[in-house]
Amino acid sequence: MTHSPAESIPNGRSASRDAIPTLDAAGFKARVLQGRGPIAVEFMSYSCAFCGAMEPVLQQVAETLRSREPIFRVNVALEADLAGAYGIEGTPTLIMFSAGREVGRSVGLAADAATVLEALTAPFASQ
Amino acid sequence: MSNSPAGAGAAARPAAPILLYDDECAVCRRMARWVRGAARDAAGAPSIDVRPIGEDPEALRRLDPRLDIWKVYAQSHLLMPDGSILIAGEAVAEILRRSPGMAWCAWLFAVRVFGLRPFQSLLNLGYVVLSDVRPIFGCKSCGAPALWARPFAWIVKTANRRTGKGARAAHRPNFTPLAAAGKAKPALQTPPAP
Repeated sequence: MTHSPAESIPNGRSASRDAIPTLDAAGFKARVLQGRGPIAVEFMSYSCAFCGAMEPVLQQVAETLRSREPIFRVNVALEADLAGAYGIEGTPTLIMFSAGREVGRSVGLAADAATVLEALTAPFASQ
Repeated sequence: MSNSPAGAGAAARPAAPILLYDDECAVCRRMARWVRGAARDAAGAPSIDVRPIGEDPEALRRLDPRLDIWKVYAQSHLLMPDGSILIAGEAVAEILRRSPGMAWCAWLFAVRVFGLRPFQSLLNLGYVVLSDVRPIFGCKSCGAPALWARPFAWIVKTANRRTGKGARAAHRPNFTPLAAAGKAKPALQTPPAP
């Protein structure tokens, strides 16, 4: 997986100037459910101000974790079925996956990088 | 007046200014409705194209490569036919200039005193205040009220609870409920080739 700027993600939307590729349902299946290692997915919406506030922090963490734990984005406004399937009650919600299975979840805005990093890595600490 | 999403205008310069607004915010929707009715040219035709921002950052960039969807959601953006982009209070002043019913006061915003535009500064401040208090008026996707507005938010919330208007469900802080996070919004349509 690459995170280069202006990247075109197979089975996903383009992600120019963005360290977090956006996935649609097909991309989610290919990249997350069929993925092996630790993967984090942010369920978000661009109209959500809390998601906007967390975005720079998440970009920073995505750059830090890029080789260890890829982070993807799912827009709940466009992927309502996916949001429903994972019982998303609101945004932002971070779900951590291992071998396609949910192993952790963090709900709501985390405003600093350390908190986001902890939320993203803690579920995999014991594995 | 077009209701088409932000991306439906293609990259060409717009014939009329395009106002991008947050369709998930009740205050913004009300403002957009007012602009649709008020901004008219001499013939009575709409003079501003009012469009919801939508959820597709690429569609916005096709409209204008300088647009960043997070910034567009944070402040009103008015795309001018000359290629300039007016933001926040500057956008409001231009909308008033193009609204026959409000044009009488719009000249004030251009008045300069010692190189400053005091009325425009007041308008900018008014915009910030309105933007900060949007969550108090029921915009669940607008984030938390600004620090200075939180006592007012608490008063409104308490009053609503006492009168039975407020939601009794436990509110999770720093979290936009799914119903307010664009859940019901249709996906943006790709603009047809000209």
